[in-house]
Amino acid sequence: MTDEALDLDTIRAQWLGVEFDVSTFEMQAGPMVAWAEACGETDPRFLDRSHPDFQAHPNFTTVCTSGRFLPDGFPSIGNGFGIDGGKTVEVLAPVRPGDVLTGTATIAEVFDKTGRSGTMVFIVQRMSFTNQDGDPVSIVDWKTIRGV
Amino acid sequence: MILDLHTHSIKSDDGRAKVENYCKWIRKKELDLDGFVLTEHRQFDAESDYTALGDQYDLVILKASEVETDYGHVLLFGVNEALVREFDFARVDNPLPMVLEAAERHGAFAAPCHPGRKNVGLFAHYETKGSVPEVHTVEILNGGSIPGEDERSVEQARRHGYRGFGGSDSHIVSRIGYRATRFAADLGTIDELVQALRSGEFEAVSLVGDEYQMISEEEEGVPT
Repeated sequence: MTDEALDLDTIRAQWLGVEFDVSTFEMQAGPMVAWAEACGETDPRFLDRSHPDFQAHPNFTTVCTSGRFLPDGFPSIGNGFGIDGGKTVEVLAPVRPGDVLTGTATIAEVFDKTGRSGTMVFIVQRMSFTNQDGDPVSIVDWKTIRGV
Repeated sequence: MILDLHTHSIKSDDGRAKVENYCKWIRKKELDLDGFVLTEHRQFDAESDYTALGDQYDLVILKASEVETDYGHVLLFGVNEALVREFDFARVDNPLPMVLEAAERHGAFAAPCHPGRKNVGLFAHYETKGSVPEVHTVEILNGGSIPGEDERSVEQARRHGYRGFGGSDSHIVSRIGYRATRFAADLGTIDELVQALRSGEFEAVSLVGDEYQMISEEEEGVPT
């Protein structure tokens, strides 16, 4: 059962949607290709810089992080940083070399669940990316799991 | 007919399986499965309609819920709007007697799942809090169990006189059908499923290899 001192309803009311970080990222072909290769990608659109539709691998934006995961003043939940609960990527438009992305970080969700190891709280940080034209290109939801 | 009574799709936060991919897998692998029930975590997916998909693959696809209680996780079959309004499906500490009573009152069927599991299984809580008289049926075979958990479920279900069914608890496509439930009747709707569960005319089965082949009253002495 969730710790009585941990009021997730209040945390959600106070913190969901609050923007706590804005960072910019310059897209370069080299890292894009290296990422696609590391993912085992074979589609030349993501590997061949000379391809007419060359673009970043769909999950490339997962590497674009500012280093800040939580807003200042966010309540302490559990012990330590927790464990990585995985990332979900929503692709909205191609990302190409030369693009300058702006990533805006918010807390998208905080929820709890129970499992063999007890109660866990999931904190979902959302990075919403736009390009230099202001067009949305990608949304990355990053879950962190904390035991309570 | 045989239904997998416990599956999760991408509608669950930890589900990685698309419903159509479950259908494709069942047909490609020629599983002895006539359908499955989607039991998404801490919610009821009222919006999705899988009728056309079911028709396309000739499979029964039904929707239910897996909620969390102070006695572990519970499957709810026959969820309706009135039941959804009765308590917060998203909470992890719903009182089990309240969930069972609400389900009964609104024509649904509630049964604890993976009851032999640590922390989130019914029988772990029985050890510290005592039994719950309203429980009558549990999931004795669960495809996500680690060694010892299903054995505990079977043994404890026998001890308490509970009926037992099976489900895979699949979160990825390739796990569907690991455990399932054989019904005496042909079922096509959630109401028919609830009726069949109430009747007790079913048995837990294992479709994909391990030491279990079938758990039935005749073979194993488990109440059905």
